[in-house]
Amino acid sequence: MKHMTETQLSELEKDLNAIRDEVIADLGERDAQHIRRMVRLHRMLEVGGRVMMPLGVIPPVFVAATATLGAAKILENMEIGHNVMHGQYDWMNDPGLHSQTYEWDTVCTGDSWRRTHNYEHHTYTNIIGKDRDYGYAVLRLSDDEPWKPWHALQFINYVLLSVFFQWGVGLHELETEKLRRREISWREKLPFLKEFARKGGRQAFKDYVFFPLVTFPVAPIVLAGNLGANLIRNLWSSTVIFCGHFTQGAETFSEEECEGESKGHWYLRQLSGSSNFTGGRWLHILSGHLSYQVEHHVFPDLPAHRYPEISGKVQAVCQKHGIHYNTGSFARQYGTVLKRILRHSLPERLGGGAATTA
Amino acid sequence: MLAKQARSRTLHWLGRQLFNRDDPAGFFDPLLEPIKPMWVQGYTPARVEQIIQETPDTKTLVLQPSRRWPGFRAGQHVNICIDVGGIRRNRSFSLSSSPILWQEQGRATLTIKRLPGGRVTNWIHDDLQTGTVIGIGEAFGDFQIPEPAQPVLFIAGGSGITPVLSQLATMAATNYRAPVTLLYFVRTADDVIARETLQALAARYGALTLHIITTHETDAPRYLCDADLDAIPGIKARQVYLCGPKGLMDLARELLHQHGIADTDIHSTFFSVPQANLGNEALGGQVRLSGSGLDVGSEGDASLLDIAEAAGLSPRYGCRMGICHQCSCRKTAGTVINRLTGQASGPGEENIQLCISVPRGPVSIDI
Repeated sequence: MKHMTETQLSELEKDLNAIRDEVIADLGERDAQHIRRMVRLHRMLEVGGRVMMPLGVIPPVFVAATATLGAAKILENMEIGHNVMHGQYDWMNDPGLHSQTYEWDTVCTGDSWRRTHNYEHHTYTNIIGKDRDYGYAVLRLSDDEPWKPWHALQFINYVLLSVFFQWGVGLHELETEKLRRREISWREKLPFLKEFARKGGRQAFKDYVFFPLVTFPVAPIVLAGNLGANLIRNLWSSTVIFCGHFTQGAETFSEEECEGESKGHWYLRQLSGSSNFTGGRWLHILSGHLSYQVEHHVFPDLPAHRYPEISGKVQAVCQKHGIHYNTGSFARQYGTVLKRILRHSLPERLGGGAATTA
Repeated sequence: MLAKQARSRTLHWLGRQLFNRDDPAGFFDPLLEPIKPMWVQGYTPARVEQIIQETPDTKTLVLQPSRRWPGFRAGQHVNICIDVGGIRRNRSFSLSSSPILWQEQGRATLTIKRLPGGRVTNWIHDDLQTGTVIGIGEAFGDFQIPEPAQPVLFIAGGSGITPVLSQLATMAATNYRAPVTLLYFVRTADDVIARETLQALAARYGALTLHIITTHETDAPRYLCDADLDAIPGIKARQVYLCGPKGLMDLARELLHQHGIADTDIHSTFFSVPQANLGNEALGGQVRLSGSGLDVGSEGDASLLDIAEAAGLSPRYGCRMGICHQCSCRKTAGTVINRLTGQASGPGEENIQLCISVPRGPVSIDI
């Protein structure tokens, strides 16, 4: 990470706060309209997908229904759920869009997500040993983590994690690595497991029992379509999220260098630990604007559709302070993610890990 | 049809499983709002049928609430909920019509004065159009006329007339058999709200004596005085109802006491937020916001809502004056003072309203 003095860091903090204050002062009708439009679109996609699904005996309709339901889940999880739970729309005072009570269409409970993502990941971003999102305790993505033989097959783990992503995210708070090391007991995790079972059961019941049953004669079609929709969402969201922190040049940090850090240092860490990808308006919406991961990590509670508007200003601040602003096309960024997973499958001396700071 | 479904427990359970929300019927609201706003389930909708300009700064909204609205009793208030500048705002207003109008025609009216600098009242006066659908809450308040009939005196000031209008209309319609006097104080003759309505009531309801008193049309202000009360026959036997600005209510209470009327016979409704004298006990303290893992200090009589907002949180809130309970949350430990009553809470776990709770010593709340 670029070294900056405390004076420089407080200058950085001031520059970024100015961008934030400007947006906060301007929040209003336009932002409310954006999120309401997204919610309306989600309802149309979900209703449309569910209604079309039983007609999926006709192959093109099956494809359309599955894609529509998949898009509904993606929109709800990424642009609505994730952003609402960050508190981006709390100022609207709409009980249906309130961060602390929102519940989304995925296995992970809102409460668990608020703890592991909003608090842990966004506070300790990319600090090896503290940010459990860094590799999700199954992938070795930095040479700061010692190599173990089972890392050699981690690409299989990566594929499995992507395919079953909603279950992985749902179980994230179980902290299996700590259970294995016996730092915590299963008994302590019982309340979490109960919540997980309730929500996971609810999601599985809906997609794999209820809707197939009510459309009994075509149950296999509906079951397959619902599985497909969940799979599309799982693959897409895991891909977007991996592009946010695991690209080439997205930095990691040690606990020591972040101890007692200032807000300016936290800002610097968010800027250097995150990465964007470029694309059209709908690519940004379907990624919940996590394609602007840098802006999101610096300002997690600003309405996400504002990130494209402030991106230029954030880049100017980065340039002023000599901080690398990590962006590239979707294909390029994802390519470096795959390379990173493969390279760290091997120990440092074999994997050529010395080639980059990552 | 949707409402019927929601009432069925099984369907409600099923809805919760399918839509991940405690009000499953509300899932479809975003689709209904633009086409059938009166069908929404997330809140009780009410259509603005007509807007009547009462005085230069007062309007009456004639509302047609959805049939599932439970109705009200004369003298009660409601919260209405509207989006202004993308922000959902809840405000309490008095219902100015008689419940009979609701029962017979499905209508209810709110009479609303423009408050200088008020976001909601100014929006209602400048931007609200007929045909708009707003949210309406359940009626509340216990500013109610005595049953069986007893002699009554109303002392109202300015827009404090609104709940009295509802009561007078009801009394006239039910032919309330006891003397009723209204002393209505307004700044100038232009500020009389519902003048025709009042005069029509006085004409057809013989028990009503109406005095409209202008306070600011003479060189020296003409406020409520002893002579006003002396002129009321049998004042000692009357139940007195006060509704108006704080200055008028305080003055009326003092003069009524001098006339030997006990506090138990004087009833008042809120108009401006009453503030209890919180004294100089050590207010403020360390506040633990356990849901978000924050600890913040507070000094003086800042409410927990203000404290939480200053700490960067955005708890749900509504009226910010202790009425609507939107901001109710769980206090897990510590003592808070109710800003309206000055009463101290118990030290244990209980539900409190953030907007009127002031910490006294360390407090933990679950947000």
